[in-house]
Amino acid sequence: MSRTLASQYAPSFSLIKAHFGAGLLGMIIFSVALVLRASVIHGHFFQPLLLGLVHLCVLGWLMPITLGALHQLVPVVFEVPVRSERLAWAAFALYVPAVTLFITRMWTLEVDALLPVSATAAALAVWLYAANLVLTLVRSAQRSLTGACVITALLYLVVAVTLGAMLAWHLFVPYLPIAHVALLRAHAHVAGLGFFGLLIMGVAYRLLEMFLLSHGAPERAGWWAFGAVNAALTFLVAAFLRAADPTLSALGLAAGIAGIAAFLVQIGAIFQRRMQRYLDVAWLHISVSFGYLALTALTGCLLVVVPVDSVASARLHVVYGLVALPGFIGTIVVGQLYKIVPFLVWLHRFAPYVGLKTIPSAGQLLPELPKRLQFVCMHLGMGLLLVGVAVDAPLWRVAGASAMAVSAAMVVGSLGFIFARKP
Amino acid sequence: MTKENVEAAARAALEDVLDPETGISIAHLGLVYAVRYDVETRFLCVVMTFTTPACPAGEMILEGVQRRLGRVDGVAFVDVDLVFEPRWTPARITAEGRAELGWPPSPAASP
Repeated sequence: MSRTLASQYAPSFSLIKAHFGAGLLGMIIFSVALVLRASVIHGHFFQPLLLGLVHLCVLGWLMPITLGALHQLVPVVFEVPVRSERLAWAAFALYVPAVTLFITRMWTLEVDALLPVSATAAALAVWLYAANLVLTLVRSAQRSLTGACVITALLYLVVAVTLGAMLAWHLFVPYLPIAHVALLRAHAHVAGLGFFGLLIMGVAYRLLEMFLLSHGAPERAGWWAFGAVNAALTFLVAAFLRAADPTLSALGLAAGIAGIAAFLVQIGAIFQRRMQRYLDVAWLHISVSFGYLALTALTGCLLVVVPVDSVASARLHVVYGLVALPGFIGTIVVGQLYKIVPFLVWLHRFAPYVGLKTIPSAGQLLPELPKRLQFVCMHLGMGLLLVGVAVDAPLWRVAGASAMAVSAAMVVGSLGFIFARKP
Repeated sequence: MTKENVEAAARAALEDVLDPETGISIAHLGLVYAVRYDVETRFLCVVMTFTTPACPAGEMILEGVQRRLGRVDGVAFVDVDLVFEPRWTPARITAEGRAELGWPPSPAASP
């Protein structure tokens, strides 16, 4: 063999399993919490119920899975081993208790010292993650659009958790010279658009090409998307810190929409050149997630024109959070889980039998039917939940949340089934 | 065992080694560039590539190729030479591979 194989750089399976396990547990807890609280979701977003749900969704479900996936993806795609697997474990060991404590304080908004202390511990865990991955990435010889997106996303992650810790301290002992909600909006957008948005963009370009056997798509639109999202964040954060300055808000929104449009153009170019014609449920999730992304941009536009103190604005804020978090990011996370988990199980359990006997492919480790049922359940639930929030119909919200909880149980059941498969 | 027979058997054997993501054999994906057999030494050399240098299943595919080719009659030694020049492109996918990916046979591949 003439060179070191990228697959040899992958970290231990147990590191990824630990992250995915924590994230799946977080998804179940979030789903149950959503069912229990769905009937009372209304009013301004700055309230314990919604802040607790949002942090449970992001820190409990989306973040551990995303960080676990990054630990698997970065070494393989960038052909460089993780800087320190021990540091990755240390960060995880700090992250889980810190986030658990932080979410319980958020849930009740008990502003005692444990709130800022747990937030700072969670931020420290994320700083360790980010430092480990950035130090991994800078050792790679590759300079690419995906690399630019991932490194920038990690920097935004550091900013987002730092702002989060600052906000938690400000709740405990007010010291910031600016409005809490203004900084909270900046924190949310740096995390959502800066970290998750750019990360998903960068990773999608590479994974879609790899899994769809797509070659030769020009990257111009992807670079435009990268620039536009960075510009959007700059304008939006400046707007939030200047009491929602309308000009800066409009510029931020325009740049954000341009960035999303350019991203979708890039994805379209990759899809157009694909050799894999059959799109399984994972790809259906990923395709639908782009619809949620467009809906997020549309809701963002409406938020600028709707009067700030109106009931419509309060509901739109919740819709905005739902389409962005469990909608766009949650859907893409589930879609990626259906790709990554079967592949990892195949790699560690089935691969040793390649060439010795007939074994299933990664995609064949789980039948399509349960995945399709889960797909229907999840997006039906999202639809009901969104309508229930938009028209303030508690029954619709409970029905939607229940469907999403069933869907979460189906995801965990399906992945558990895959983990249990043996050759 | 002639050189041609063993090389044909080796090519057929490589159809058993599947890409884990697509479920299509590496032969049909066009990943195998050359198969050379030396009758005297019973040495079989395969030159192959991946769809991308960052193939996450690369190591396992190479080991699978070694194992499968080791079971071909007449083969005593196997060497798998992994190359990335020339780069793999979708144009290398065979007619069988295209059909498995859901594409109609290309006009050039039609009888």
